[in-house]
Amino acid sequence: MSEFDSAAALSKSPPKSLAAFLAAGAERARLWRPEELSAIFRHQMSSPILVDLGGFDPATASRLKVLGEAQSLLLKSFSDLFHHPVPPLELLSLTKDFAKANMDHPESSLPEEVAAVLYYASIATALVRLNARISQLKDAELQRGLLWAKDQPWVDEQTKEIFVQALKKILPDAPAKGSPQ
Amino acid sequence: MSSEPPASSIFPRTDWAGLGKAADADEARLDGLIRLYWAPLRIFLVATFPSLKDQAEVLLQEFAEDKILKEGWLRRADRSRGKFRDFLKTSLRHFVLDRLNRAEVRHAPVSLDELEQELPGPPGPSEEFDLTWIRAVLTETLRRMEADCRDPAEDQPRRSFIWEMFRIRLIDPVLNDSPQTPYEELIERFSLKSPTDASNMLLSGKRMFKAHLAKVIKEYAEQDAATAAEIKALEDFVSHLAKRS
Repeated sequence: MSEFDSAAALSKSPPKSLAAFLAAGAERARLWRPEELSAIFRHQMSSPILVDLGGFDPATASRLKVLGEAQSLLLKSFSDLFHHPVPPLELLSLTKDFAKANMDHPESSLPEEVAAVLYYASIATALVRLNARISQLKDAELQRGLLWAKDQPWVDEQTKEIFVQALKKILPDAPAKGSPQ
Repeated sequence: MSSEPPASSIFPRTDWAGLGKAADADEARLDGLIRLYWAPLRIFLVATFPSLKDQAEVLLQEFAEDKILKEGWLRRADRSRGKFRDFLKTSLRHFVLDRLNRAEVRHAPVSLDELEQELPGPPGPSEEFDLTWIRAVLTETLRRMEADCRDPAEDQPRRSFIWEMFRIRLIDPVLNDSPQTPYEELIERFSLKSPTDASNMLLSGKRMFKAHLAKVIKEYAEQDAATAAEIKALEDFVSHLAKRS
């Protein structure tokens, strides 16, 4: 049985609430509140990789399964991937593509900030763990992005550490502080 | 009350041809529309004729039976002007004036020609009518959406979750002033696998809401273009009232 009596709620609602409800109901409206980013990011990091990346074509999805289980690595979550000592490069690259697609899509199902941190985490992990560049970004652009990701208050310390190490890799002499303009 | 023009004037025109056909072909459908929008009609009647408050239900019943459900009622309307709701208001007003006249209280008899005229009407009752109309539209939309989501023939429990998520995230906080449910609780409650899963569930709810809203409005606005314009008009109307309050 429904816990909600829509007629009763609507009969009391002032125009302001009705306007807010119609605005929030629009698809383009933001789905999540900024104060929820921390919980959403934690959820993202603990999510099974195959759930999100499984949306690629069947061949890629099958390849993902193989990669995730390769060499008994058993990479189940994004957190496992970013914090593994030798993560598969291809998996990092696919994660970067998934994040990028979400960053660029106006109706993305991921908050743009979470997608951006996922994007930079993929690049940073490849750089730090495998000494590989999986992005075409120039050093200055990458530095801006890594600094921004590192400064997000809702990002966990372990992931922030990857950003710090990546910053040292691309600019060994630059202090890993500050925010992008 | 505001000195601005009646807010109803911003509503789009109704497809009279379609409604005329509907009146001929589908009396039951018209009857359903009357029942759905009984509340705004009642509010308009009482606001326009406060002294008739106690007789409002009886008058509305007679109005529905004697006018709306009478064959050809819609065909008598001047299709070049007005909208379905404005026509309802005008017809109701004339109907009541005619009844009062018959009772020899005041006013001259009202002819059929006059019935076809768009009476400006006081802004107060008209605005109140439109606001109640919007509430009726939204109530019906949410009722249908919930029934659709809880349909046992559909993908359950996923579909029920879509309704619950929509209710928890949008309806309760906005319309009932309820506190937002923490994200962690949503993960638990709906067995969400990832934020993408959570967002997709919420987006599905929004899309269902939009689809049902369009369906409810199309039942009186008829054409797709008029429906889209009516949705926009509803949004503009409540947002206009919200800014004023």
